[in-house]
Amino acid sequence: MNLSQVGESRVNGYLFVLERSLKSFLPIDIVRDARREIESHVRERVAAHDGSPNEREALEKILAELGSPLRVAQAYSSERIVDEAVTTGRVVPIARALWHLAVTTLSGFFAALGLFAAYLAGVSFIIVAALKPFFPDNVGVHVTKNGWPIVIGAVWPAPVQPVRGGYWIIPIFLVLGFGILVLTHRGARAFLGWWRRRRVA
Amino acid sequence: MSRETWQEQLRRGSLDLAILLSVSSGPRYGLAIIQHLEAFTDLVVTEGTIYPILGRLTREGLLDAKWVEGEAPHARKYYRLTRAGELRLREMKAEWLAFVDKIGRLLHAAETSAR
Repeated sequence: MNLSQVGESRVNGYLFVLERSLKSFLPIDIVRDARREIESHVRERVAAHDGSPNEREALEKILAELGSPLRVAQAYSSERIVDEAVTTGRVVPIARALWHLAVTTLSGFFAALGLFAAYLAGVSFIIVAALKPFFPDNVGVHVTKNGWPIVIGAVWPAPVQPVRGGYWIIPIFLVLGFGILVLTHRGARAFLGWWRRRRVA
Repeated sequence: MSRETWQEQLRRGSLDLAILLSVSSGPRYGLAIIQHLEAFTDLVVTEGTIYPILGRLTREGLLDAKWVEGEAPHARKYYRLTRAGELRLREMKAEWLAFVDKIGRLLHAAETSAR
């Protein structure tokens, strides 16, 4: 079947949405290659079709069997982004993969939320440790009059009750902070590995 | 686990093997792989999602991809098994056959004891 101008517009519209969706996650050379391959698929299907019962329905059937552009883009992105994150274990690819899953899947959203909180806790401990030498009266374990700890960290202005804990909190908080970061990162990688194994093709 | 989930897991778990088998006899382009799979199985639910898998298998070094111009009005991207792909396919085939054999024996044992 030879496409009319309307049919060509429909195919180009599909490819435009696919390309734009892919661009938000993938490098441009991968996007161009993916678009070219999907276009080749559509052209091949169109050429083999006799156009019955009419061009519009035939084309819609071909595109429906291919999958919506967003579905196809999601499959491309998931395969690529999660693979890179799991394989390399680097911070940026893992953050990108978590973000991708958070905005595309419900389980990814909650996992990313928990992992983000854990990363934040790790960074917070390190920041508090770094602030201690500069603000010794503000940073430490803050207690009530009865000696109950209420805040571990930095408080401005400096509280009436003197902070507990001297400079020893620096090594402890550094170990805690880096420990939490390492464990969280391993957890994130394990989650992405689990997701990769169960992903829908 | 629902029946659909179980079927989906079965399908997902066997798709890599099915794709590697499709190109084991010689290079095929994307649509030809899909048509080959459709002729023998119902593994392809959404055609467009096969291409990302082909991309991953290529990145993993199991497939080699090459654009071929002039064969049709549009270019076709052909995939063929690499040496690493052949080795992996051999392993996967052996594991698959062993798995099917074990489940078959389990089924047979269950049927025998039910009589």
